[in-house]
Amino acid sequence: MARFHDLEVTDIHKTIRDAVVVTLQPVNGAAEEFDFTQGQYLTFRRDFDGEELRRSYSICAGKGDGVLQVGIKRVDGGAFSTWANEELQVGDTLQAMPPMGSFFTALDAGADKQYLGFAGGSGITPVLSILKTTLAAEPNSSFTLVYANKGVNTIMFREELEDLKNTYLGRFNVIHILESDAQEIDLFTGLVTEEKCAQLFEHWIDIQSVDTAFICGPEPMMLGIAAALRTAGLDDSQIKFELFASAQPGRAKRKAVSQDAASSANQTTAAITLDGSTQTIQMPKDATILDAALDNAMDAPYACKAGVCSTCRCKVLEGEVEMVTNHALEDYEVEKGYVLSCQSYPLTDNVVVDFDQ
Amino acid sequence: MAEDMSIESYLAAGGVLTNPTNVPPRYRAELMKLMATFVDSELAGAAGFADIINQGPGIKERIAAAKIVLEKTDNADKVLRIMGEFGANTERYATHHPWTARLDRDADIGQSRSEHDMRLAVFNYPLNGWADAVMMNLLMGRAVAVQLAEFSMVSYQPLAEVFRAVAPIEARHAELAEEGVIKLLEAGEAEALQASANYWWPRVAASFGSSASEKFEGLQAIGLRKTSNAELKTRWEAEAGAILKKIGLTVG
Repeated sequence: MARFHDLEVTDIHKTIRDAVVVTLQPVNGAAEEFDFTQGQYLTFRRDFDGEELRRSYSICAGKGDGVLQVGIKRVDGGAFSTWANEELQVGDTLQAMPPMGSFFTALDAGADKQYLGFAGGSGITPVLSILKTTLAAEPNSSFTLVYANKGVNTIMFREELEDLKNTYLGRFNVIHILESDAQEIDLFTGLVTEEKCAQLFEHWIDIQSVDTAFICGPEPMMLGIAAALRTAGLDDSQIKFELFASAQPGRAKRKAVSQDAASSANQTTAAITLDGSTQTIQMPKDATILDAALDNAMDAPYACKAGVCSTCRCKVLEGEVEMVTNHALEDYEVEKGYVLSCQSYPLTDNVVVDFDQ
Repeated sequence: MAEDMSIESYLAAGGVLTNPTNVPPRYRAELMKLMATFVDSELAGAAGFADIINQGPGIKERIAAAKIVLEKTDNADKVLRIMGEFGANTERYATHHPWTARLDRDADIGQSRSEHDMRLAVFNYPLNGWADAVMMNLLMGRAVAVQLAEFSMVSYQPLAEVFRAVAPIEARHAELAEEGVIKLLEAGEAEALQASANYWWPRVAASFGSSASEKFEGLQAIGLRKTSNAELKTRWEAEAGAILKKIGLTVG
């Protein structure tokens, strides 16, 4: 299992009004673990009012930049992104897991490839890492970026992209599509939809020569672009996606602990929610929640039954259970009330568990 | 940009997920089961085949068998690593369980899994010598090819990519098995091979699951399945049947 490491903030600057670029330096000899691949992301954790939040942000630096940088755009109501934009300071320490993700393709210095990237808003961060790395590592390859934003003033890394155009003259091209700001060419105004892509493929992008396409943006945009790419003849192995849903899970509520004390009887009333429906069953206290669910013909998920794989994870909403073995859930998950149902025996006379959370 | 789209409708429209952070709970559960089924089957298959290596009639056969054991274990590792990103304890997972354990050759378990792992039912039956192992590998190898073609399209992109990378390796295992069967036929082992084909055919067929699976539609809606169990099984029956016919054996 991946572990968290300390990273020191060595630089922080705004790229637009509500987005910061944070430069990080691994401490305590963890540098090797943070030797990332272009397009990967870091998962951070931080305590907010006693509750741990985890958020993932893509690395925006290229391999050759010699730094570890992430871009964090402030999301309305987002505790972590607001904190990073307003309070985070140089010299602070952040905790993150080593880079993860597979939003990249292998590079080859001898390759002569055409890449096409699509980014929506802050979806630019991993695409920027990919295009910088690729242009540097493959001197014969070209990269076209279609970059969707609301308006000119919300374009993250705008100047950096202009600089890259100059550095890689003839090999790097950016098409800005702006939702609300009019541009000289009508086609470049509006949303990046399937139809818009099809039009771009007619005159602006030679789609037949594209080897690999990268897409990172909100869900509807990804669907539209993918559909247009497939229509144009690309197959699934040529299309790389990265999705960070616009709604990352909100703050989890605290586990509600039932006040009634455990009684002497061996029976528990368990309300088990699975696939949207709840069954209330009587079960002995020496049976696991998982077995009780399976015995009652509920199709509860499990695999190893040894507390190792975490497939059977569920959340205790009321009452208490004892989890005898846990090799999979982390402390923060347990604090939120998650248990491995294959290892959990009821302690109270009533328990309410949910496999859908 | 219209950003208010639920993950469920995104998946129903053919969208793909790319990391554990925004995978819904029920999707996570089904994905974990799918991955555990693959990992357990590969580990159990490799463990069973490991015992057969020394029964290979020649050095080439032993190299082929050892290669299959190595690569199936490696394929299990690739998927287990994705399970690790969801929190599975990968070190412990690989060793917590006796993967060589088998039932009796005559046990009749249909499509049921054992109590403690998710291997496909077919991997609970013991191999009965070299020729039997090669025949099992041929029939199951073709089944794996059909199943991997289906699962190479799952909506969790990191897993789809692993399956696409693994598919040609597994296909090669089935080719090695076919070469092995032909060699055995030349050595006059037709009768034993036909008996093995008869034994394994219904058991491999059962690994495609129930044809009346109620879960299929739910899995289809989240992009974890595309083709029905019955259709996949029919595809395998045609392909594997054609191979048996080509080498002069019949479908049991």
